[in-house]
Formats: sequence, structure tokens, C-alpha cells
Amino acid sequence: MDTPAISTENLTRRFGDFLPVDGVNLRVTTGQFFGFLGPNGAGKSTTIKMLTGLLAPSAGRIQILGLDLDSDPIEVKRNIGVVPEGMALFGRLTGPEYLNFAGRMYGLDRDTAAKRTTELLEFMQLDREPKKLITDYSHGMQKKLALAAAVIHGPRILFLDEPFEGVDAIASGTLKAMLQRMIARGVTIFLTSHVLEIVERLCSHLAIIHQGKLVAQGSLEELRSGVEAMAPSQGSSSTPGEKLTLEEIFLRIVGGSRTDDTQELSWLT
Amino acid sequence: MAHLNQPVAAPLPVARLQIGAIARLRWQIFRNSLRTMRGRMEFVSWIFIAIWFAALGFGGAFGLGIGAWWVVARNQTQWLAALLWPIFMFWTFFPLIATAFTEAFDSASLLRYPLNYSSFFTVNLIYGSLDASTMVCGLWLLGVTLGIAIAAPAFSLWTLVVLIVFGLTCLFLVRAVFAWIDRWLAQRKTREIMGVLFFVCIICFQMIGPLINRFGHRHMQLPAYLAQAIAIQRFLPAGLAAEAILRALHAEWGLAAAAFSMLVAYSAAFLLLFHLRLRAQYVGENFGEAPSRASQSTQKTEARSGWTVPGLTGPLAAMIEKEVRYLSRASQTLFTLVMPMVVLLIFRFNANPARPRSRIVTTAYAFPVGVAYALLILTNLIYNSFADDSAGIQFYFLAPVRFRQVLIAKNFVHAAILAIEALLVWIAASFFYGRPETVIVAITLTALLFAAPLNLIFGNLLSIYSPKKHDFGSFGRQRASGASALAGLAVQVVIIATSVVAIMIGKHFGNLWFAILMLAVFAAIACAAYRISLNRIDGIGRDKREQLIAILAKSS
Repeated sequence: MDTPAISTENLTRRFGDFLPVDGVNLRVTTGQFFGFLGPNGAGKSTTIKMLTGLLAPSAGRIQILGLDLDSDPIEVKRNIGVVPEGMALFGRLTGPEYLNFAGRMYGLDRDTAAKRTTELLEFMQLDREPKKLITDYSHGMQKKLALAAAVIHGPRILFLDEPFEGVDAIASGTLKAMLQRMIARGVTIFLTSHVLEIVERLCSHLAIIHQGKLVAQGSLEELRSGVEAMAPSQGSSSTPGEKLTLEEIFLRIVGGSRTDDTQELSWLT
Repeated sequence: MAHLNQPVAAPLPVARLQIGAIARLRWQIFRNSLRTMRGRMEFVSWIFIAIWFAALGFGGAFGLGIGAWWVVARNQTQWLAALLWPIFMFWTFFPLIATAFTEAFDSASLLRYPLNYSSFFTVNLIYGSLDASTMVCGLWLLGVTLGIAIAAPAFSLWTLVVLIVFGLTCLFLVRAVFAWIDRWLAQRKTREIMGVLFFVCIICFQMIGPLINRFGHRHMQLPAYLAQAIAIQRFLPAGLAAEAILRALHAEWGLAAAAFSMLVAYSAAFLLLFHLRLRAQYVGENFGEAPSRASQSTQKTEARSGWTVPGLTGPLAAMIEKEVRYLSRASQTLFTLVMPMVVLLIFRFNANPARPRSRIVTTAYAFPVGVAYALLILTNLIYNSFADDSAGIQFYFLAPVRFRQVLIAKNFVHAAILAIEALLVWIAASFFYGRPETVIVAITLTALLFAAPLNLIFGNLLSIYSPKKHDFGSFGRQRASGASALAGLAVQVVIIATSVVAIMIGKHFGNLWFAILMLAVFAAIACAAYRISLNRIDGIGRDKREQLIAILAKSS
């Protein structure tokens, strides 16, 4: 059996009495485009932070490419690229300086870092304003730069926390093109997003976390058949014979549908 | 549908309720901050600072009260202005110089709420004024008022009115200055210009005394100069307030009313300046700095290779390059690094050639004083070394490097700056005062070798345990935390005391090289301690990474 790209065993994070992540067992196979979903506050960001070394787990074990994150963090980090929530950018550097810096911090030699910087800036269409400081970049430009920095060393796994949040259609297209190119080359991508349409279109496999617990995991088809087997006609807007959308699957699993209750918040209108 | 007849939105809450809500919010923020160790450390440091300011406030109030009583009771009222000028200067300049003790209240976030302009203005004025200088100067003014009231009870009401208007004038001036500085800091270009102007102003201000001392006697006799200054100050707020009271005491009510009217005019002018800025904020401003599409270059970028630093690994060289680039773009920090040489120049000018005793710094002390000052300035960087990294702090924990490598690179840059500063100070001291004696240079450098590692140890720890994000777009948010400032001060006291003891022992035995030997031993111990601290820094960084990221990566 192949070593999974990402696997967690009873992964738990506790903040006082609060358990944002409670005994999560994840398994992501190499080369998968993996979508990690959940409602707000479900534990998505906490999980991805633990998987990337930004947050220490309270209990449990994380293995990345068969390496234990706790005992071999440097080797794990060498093999992964991350676009975290805050993008990890240095505002007072220019785009080329930041990419060069990122490349060298990941161990690339000077010439390789410079060459890849040039190529990435061109691919991301960030090469027109080389002297502009990152702090003056638009949000979309910053997202593209953060992704470029995350892939400059050629990672085997890419972690993306809400990569499409606040990004316009043009920048989003560039990001997707880059991700699809990486998947085609065998890179594993682990992505969290609230935009279910994008996840549905890009991801081959999914996991859903709800109230800190992993409530579903598998391919989209597996999740769909699982949901349909549970309650074949409950709350579906699809016509008979039509497949359930990811949004419908998601809502059924996390129980997020709200009935119209005119008594609630009546003062709003 | 009955509810459709109800108003679409709730009526605007009254300003009093909103001000109360903000007070509760600030109390809750304070209470919640005590849940963390860092918050508790900050609170303890603020208690010490508050005690110090309370002593200054009550002590000053007592002294000024006695002074005010004396000038009125002894009919020396011409000195009344001399009591009010220090209050005016402290109230207006202290918040600008000592931003660590200044309340940096950001009201822009309140604009999303249905706050009418008068509430927005009031909130800004009240919460922006809750700082040490307002409290201290308020107490001082109270002291002056009581002093005059005891000496001349019939004039107490008039004095009270005049001094309230004088206090409001100072308050409006400070708030207006802060509001306008914030406006200019909001954009990078104006920020750079402001930084240069501020630096030039500070130098000019410090040069006034020494230049007058040195050249004044050639062109203008001191009494004539003083007479001119006294004449001018009568038309400025402190002089006008003194004049209004003084004239009233001499029953010259017409002149008193004129002086008071001018004081009110000043107050109104500062209030107007403050209002103009707040009004612009209230109606909405856009300080976006993105260049227009037309300004974008059509030339494609060919990225240049990064730096190499002999003997250092690629990641360390990259970190050093990043640190140097960051520093080179922080003009305010760069300017402060020139200050040790400027201070030596100021002290040199301060020395009157006709009076050799007037020299504050002599040839023997020029080099040590300059180096000590350079170290003191550098502590701003060392004790909050992640402040400028902001969200970039996450990168250090994502990249395949040990946290100690990050700190080694930062320390390397700080130590290099210190070495360059020491060299520049030596050149400046040699130029202005004559070449320092070898033994003095040796003592200073050995003391520096002792002081630098100690400062780096505590600086690294406080940068991790008590980080504070720099916000260059807002005045007064470029400082380290209160806990770091106090701890830094304590470290300097220990270093200076130890060095002085070593020198005294050396002097006692009639051989300063003995002091150098002692300091060298201390330096060796400090270097060993630095090495040990580095070995533990990975673990500390790992334990504190969540706090570091939470504080530095949050959007301001």
C-alpha cells in the first residue's frame, strides 16, 4: 500500500475547554486534489495550521509523505508549500525580492531561485511592476504572489487556505491554471474553501469537518451516494435523476438548512 | 404584515450611549487582555509607569502650586508665564517624543456604525486625550490654579476660566497635530517626507541651545535675546494665559480680556484644524497607493540573484538580505541611526570655547557616550525584532529553517549595525573632540562586547514573549510593548552599573586595563549565555508561535 501524502491519527486541538478539532483521522493519497470543507468555525483553519506546522496539536499524530511532522519538521517543510490564511508576505519587499527570498529559504541556490522567480512572475502576470512593494499590491496580486512563493521550490504537497477568497475572476483563473498544472504533474493539493462551486470543479476528493469532527471523507461520488443512501429525497432541489450538487451534499451532511421562520428576527424588515 | 409598519432602521442612538458603549468595549478589551501572560506583563509594566507619572503629576502640581502662590503673593507676576510654558511644552511635545506613553486611539473603525459627526468628534477628543501628558498637565494646571486661588482668592474664578481655556487650547493643539500626522503617515510617500522633516526638526530643536551658546555672544547679547523672546511669547498660548491672569491681578481688565480673547482665538483655530481633519475622515477618505495602469512598466522583469555572505548558508544570507532591505526602506529607523553622531556634534557646539567647563562631554567621554547612545537606539530594533515582519512571521514557521537561524540573521544584522555605528562614532569623536585614548576605546569596546550579547539575549526573548506589530500608518504605533521598554531599561541599568563598577575598581587599583580584563570576562560570560539562549530559542519559538502569529499577522 502506498504511503499517503497526508495522514492524521486522532488529531486534536484544545483551547481551554473548547475542542475546535476533535480526533480527526485524515488520509490524503498522493496526487489527489483534496478539498477540505466545513462551516465557519468547524475547525478547517485550525486543522490546516496544524498540518503545516503553524499550530501545535494538543494530541494525535501527523504524517506528511510518511514523515512525522513533530519529529522531522524541517524535512516535512522542505516538501510542502503553503499559502496560509495571512499569506505570509513581507510587505516591504518587492515581488521579485520576496520570491527570491522564499526560494533561498527553501534551499534553492541563487541562480535557480532567480530563474524560477522570473518564470513565476511572468506566469502570474506580476512582472510588470518589479519595483512595487508588496504592501502596495492589490489583494489578488498578493494571493498570486503567495502562491508563487509556495511553489517556487517545487513542493510535493501544496496546502492552500482559502486561496480564492477576495480574488477576482482573472486572478482566480491564473491560480486555477497553476493548480491544474501541478495536479497534472503529480503534486498533492490540500485546499480549504468556502466557494463550493470551485471545490466541486477542482477537487477529486473531499473531507467535511463539522464541530471539530470529521463527518465525511471520500470522492465526490462516494459522498453523493452516501448522502443519497442516508435520505434519498430530503431537501433536494434537484429534479429526479439529476445528481446532487456539492452544496446540497454539504448542507445535508452538516445540517445547515434553515426553514423559513417569520417569527425570528421579524424586526429586520 | 404588522412589522412592515415599523421603521426600517432603529433611530440613531444618542452620543452618550455610544460613548458609554465604547467605554465598556475598552474595559472589556482590557479585562480580556489580562487572560494572557503577555497582557498581565503589560499591565504590571503600566502600573510602574502610572506610578511614575502620578509622582510626576502630583509632585509637579505641588511645585507649580507653590510657585504660583509665590509669584502672586510676592507680586512677582511677571514670572507667571514661566510656570505655564513648561506645561504647554510638556503637553504638546511629550506625546510626540514619547509615543510609548501616548494613547493611539484609532476611531476610523467606528465609522461603520451610525455615529453622527458630533459623536465621532467627541469620541475622538475624549478617548484620544486619555493619555499620560493630559493627566499630568491637568494636575499641573490644577496646582497652578490652587496656588493663585490661595494667594488671591478674589481672582480664583477668572484664573480657573483662563486656565481651562488654556488647557483646552493645548488639548486641541495636540489632537490636531496627531490627527494631521496620522493623515500624512497614511501614505508611504508623505510618510517618508514626514520622517525626514521630523528628524530635521528634532536636530534643529536640539541645535538651538548649543548654537546660541556658541555663537550667540557674537551677534546678540543674551538680555536682548531674552527680551525679544519674552515679547514674542506674550502672543503665544502660554504667554496669553499668563497675561490674562496677570492683567486681571493688576485690575487691567481690558488688557486681560484682550489676552483672553486671543487665547480663545488660538483655541478655536486649533479646534478648527482638528475638525477639518476629522470631518475629512468622517466623510470618507481613500489613501490607496496603487499606481495607475498607465504608470505600469511594459518591460518584463529579469530577477536578480540574491546575496551571498561568505561563510553563511543560503537561507542565512537570504535572511540577512531581507533584513537589510527592510531596514533600508525604514527611513525613520535609518535617521535615528545617525543620531549618535548628531548628539556628539550637538555636545561639541554646546561647549563654549570661552568656558571650557561648559563642556558636557569631554574628549575622554565622547566615544563611550556616542557608543552607549548608539546601543540605546538600537534597542528599539533588538527588543521588538519581528515588529516589521507582520504577516511574514508565518513564513519563518513554514520554511524549512530553524527558528534560531532567523534570530541569528537578525542578530547578525543588528550586531553589524552596532559595529558600523561604533566605527562612525569613533570617527565623529576623533573629528569633533580629538582622537580618543587607546585605553578608553578598549574599555568602551569591551563593554560593548559585554552589552551587545546581553541585549541580544533579552531582545530575542522579549521579541518572542512580548511582540508588538509596527503600524507605520498611525502615529505612536511604532513602539515596542511597555513590558519590553521597561525590561530593556532594566538591562541597560544593569550593564551600565556593572561597567561603572569595573571601571571604578580599575581606577582604584590605578590601572584601567584591569577594568578591561574584568569587562572581557563579563563579555565572555555574556557570549556563552547568548549561545545557550540560542540553543533554547527553537523550543521557545515553537511554544510561542501561535501568540507571535496571532499578534503580528493580524490585520491592523
